[in-house]
Amino acid sequence: MSIRLQLLMVALTTLVLPWAGCQYARELETALRSSQEQSLLASAGTIANALSAQPQRVFHDAGDTQAFSAGAGDLYVYPLVTQPLLDGYREDWDVPAEPTALPTTTGYRARLQAGSTEGFLYLFIEVRDSHFDAEPNNVRPDTDRFDRVNLALDGPNGRETYFFGTDAPGLIAAQSVVRGEDGVDRVAAEPRIQAFWLQAAAGYQLEARIPLSFVGRHLWVEALDGRGKGRAGFAADSAAGGRLFFATAGLDSLLETFIGDGTLATVIDANALKLGSAGSVVSKTRAETESSEPIWYRYFLDVDTSEMPILSMAPDHLSGESVGSALVGHPHAQWVRGDNRGEILLMAAAPIMIDGHLHGAVVLQQAADQLLALRDRALSRLFNLTLIATAAAVIIMFTFATWLSLRIGRLRDAAESAVGSDGRIQLTMPESASADEIGSLSRGFERLLARLNEHAQYLRTLGGKLSHELRTPLTIVRSSLDNLESEGLRDDQRRYITRAREGTQRLQSILSALGAAARVEESIKQSERVNFDLRELMICAVAAYRDGFPAAHFALQTPEDACFARGAPDLIVQLLDKLIENAVDFCPKEGTVTVRLERVQASYCLQVANDGPLIPEALMGRLFESLFEQRRGGDDKPHFGLGLYIVRLIAEFHGGTAVAANRDDDSGVVFTIMLPLI
Amino acid sequence: MKKQIAIVEDEPALRENYAAALARHGYSIKTYGNRRTAMQAFKTRCPDLAIIDISLEDEAEGGFDLCRDLRALSAELPIIFLTARDSELDAVSGLRLGADDFLTKDVSLPHLAARVAALFRRIDALRRPDNAAEIVRRGALSIDGEKMQTTWDGVPVTLSLTEFWIVHALAKNPGHVKNRQQLMDAANVVLDDNTITSHIKRVRRKFQQVDAAFDAIQTVYGMGYRWVE
Repeated sequence: MSIRLQLLMVALTTLVLPWAGCQYARELETALRSSQEQSLLASAGTIANALSAQPQRVFHDAGDTQAFSAGAGDLYVYPLVTQPLLDGYREDWDVPAEPTALPTTTGYRARLQAGSTEGFLYLFIEVRDSHFDAEPNNVRPDTDRFDRVNLALDGPNGRETYFFGTDAPGLIAAQSVVRGEDGVDRVAAEPRIQAFWLQAAAGYQLEARIPLSFVGRHLWVEALDGRGKGRAGFAADSAAGGRLFFATAGLDSLLETFIGDGTLATVIDANALKLGSAGSVVSKTRAETESSEPIWYRYFLDVDTSEMPILSMAPDHLSGESVGSALVGHPHAQWVRGDNRGEILLMAAAPIMIDGHLHGAVVLQQAADQLLALRDRALSRLFNLTLIATAAAVIIMFTFATWLSLRIGRLRDAAESAVGSDGRIQLTMPESASADEIGSLSRGFERLLARLNEHAQYLRTLGGKLSHELRTPLTIVRSSLDNLESEGLRDDQRRYITRAREGTQRLQSILSALGAAARVEESIKQSERVNFDLRELMICAVAAYRDGFPAAHFALQTPEDACFARGAPDLIVQLLDKLIENAVDFCPKEGTVTVRLERVQASYCLQVANDGPLIPEALMGRLFESLFEQRRGGDDKPHFGLGLYIVRLIAEFHGGTAVAANRDDDSGVVFTIMLPLI
Repeated sequence: MKKQIAIVEDEPALRENYAAALARHGYSIKTYGNRRTAMQAFKTRCPDLAIIDISLEDEAEGGFDLCRDLRALSAELPIIFLTARDSELDAVSGLRLGADDFLTKDVSLPHLAARVAALFRRIDALRRPDNAAEIVRRGALSIDGEKMQTTWDGVPVTLSLTEFWIVHALAKNPGHVKNRQQLMDAANVVLDDNTITSHIKRVRRKFQQVDAAFDAIQTVYGMGYRWVE
């Protein structure tokens, strides 16, 4: 992994800042939540206290403490906002609840719902009865059988009973049996109780309107089928009857004075039935001004709400943990999920105690949106700041790393090319002036290179020095042998002398080879450049090689016209000598040494190729170094690796290059010398 | 009377070997280890021929100084440099100082003796009247094999002994290519190819000083040289 990548990864650890910000935001939210809980709970408690001081404005009948029982016919009277039209439909009541079914033992199904405005009690009765039995004329309610709904009211003058029946659907009035002065019961219409009978395919719907002055605490409703024994509801003479539970008139406006925007306040009685409510969880001002566009990073920090209970939204009563807790006397706050679009609500309930008895509770609901807004504002700033900081850190780190790796790269490049292909050593390294570790590394390289250079220098001159220093003792040996020979020797003595002479001869040629590089370098320095015909030179030279190496096959390819070049022809011949010697050494007996000259753009390309063993890849770049010899030729001549070094020196003297390569088809090797035209 | 040869060489073993070999050829030998003692002796009696090493004891170029001083004593005295130093520069310097030959220590004793004999023969020949039979003429060139003198268009060209023998070998058979080995044999030297090349170069230059258009020695690449008329 590159330094750049490493530092980039290190820089990415600054992402811990936004993460820490998230944690902080979560804590902030938790703190805000609990403070909101506290404040809402306090508000609920305050309202509850205020309401308990004026129970008559809150409770219809503060004395009634018997629990609400739907089974016993108890009925919640929905407060109606507008006066409904008497038309047999309850859609205009705007009550989101279904009517409650009346108890039946016969399978005759009827449902009942009650609502009230300021002056009237409305009843809606829906009966499943596929056959309409009309009310006969001059009805005798005791004996006649027809579809009817009996109604009994706890009026101011005792229990009054009425019935609804009709011979034709439409607007009707309630009827009652009135015992006349003559003691005979007669049916009389009660025009103040009006109803609308709507006949439908499955049955009929009856919407009745009763002035509140007729209505007492209890109510009995019974639907009877005109044929058969179907009946549902409570007979007027049954003891149970249904109690009516009204919302408290005026409580809504009273509550309105307690609450602020964005809060829904509900007062319930001990049965959790709604007595009144005011406000809304949706803030009027905020709903308009704030876009609900989700901020993307909310995704990362939304508090897990799946464990929160879902708020149940019954139209007539409230439920939930906090309501339950308040109705046993303990104030309680709880977070719940709203039923639509996952909004979070805070619900706080406080009991209303009157004279030490629990009578109901105040329930406040507030959206958590305000919290979110606060949190988002804090988070937005935090996020933006930390992201900018992170980005800056990453950019700075990356730039720094790039700079660093650039410097190291420069140093590496310099180190790689410090020892050139010609063995010359570049002694100065980049960055050595820097005071940091890279600078010191560079200086370390420089010291190393200086020592390497000294060593290389020593090696370069070693050959010349050796050949010089050994020459005198060798001459002593040889001149002694010369003298000895002229003393007149026996044949056996002469034999040893001859061997000693051969030895000195070999030593002589070794010394000569050792000093050759130095001599060539010197003669190159003194060479004069002349114009000469490279083609003619090569033709002559190859002819000479054919004589010199009769065992080898030579092939010569040259351009047809003269190839004038400027340089030292003697040196070029020497270069050719070395290449040919090398090629002949490695060329197998039946192989061919190919010498080729051609013009390639602005250069002459001089190639000496031979069949035979390939050059190992590892040696490829080092063949032209001084004193480098890895290849073994076919003879026993000493190889000091100077031949190709001399080739390179001569090529470079002419401004050219020397390259060795294996043939593409691996059949042999090619040495290519590029020489510039003139 | 025996010819007297002075050998100035700081290496005793070598000095004695040379002395013994030359004494066998009938010369009287005087040996010196350094420039000071040699010069003192030369002032008393000048030898007939001097063989001098370049570096003498603590003087790296003592031989050059000695050559200069000796040449001041006698203009005709043959001087041979015999040294382990084989650089081109040394050879040029030595010959410029008026030495008659410049040999590296690779030379064998018989070769050395041949040179010494050749130089004495030249001295003798110079004292005798011209012997036309020994003169080789090739166009503008005339070579006196006896006196080892070379002229081009009548103008003397001063060649060292080695150079003279190279020119002699080439000019004797014009048009024939002489390879380096043949030239070495002719000059009684063992040299490497580069040294032959530089000898040829020097010879050409010397002739060109007399005649700028000189072009008689031709290089045959890969083979050697030939004399063209």
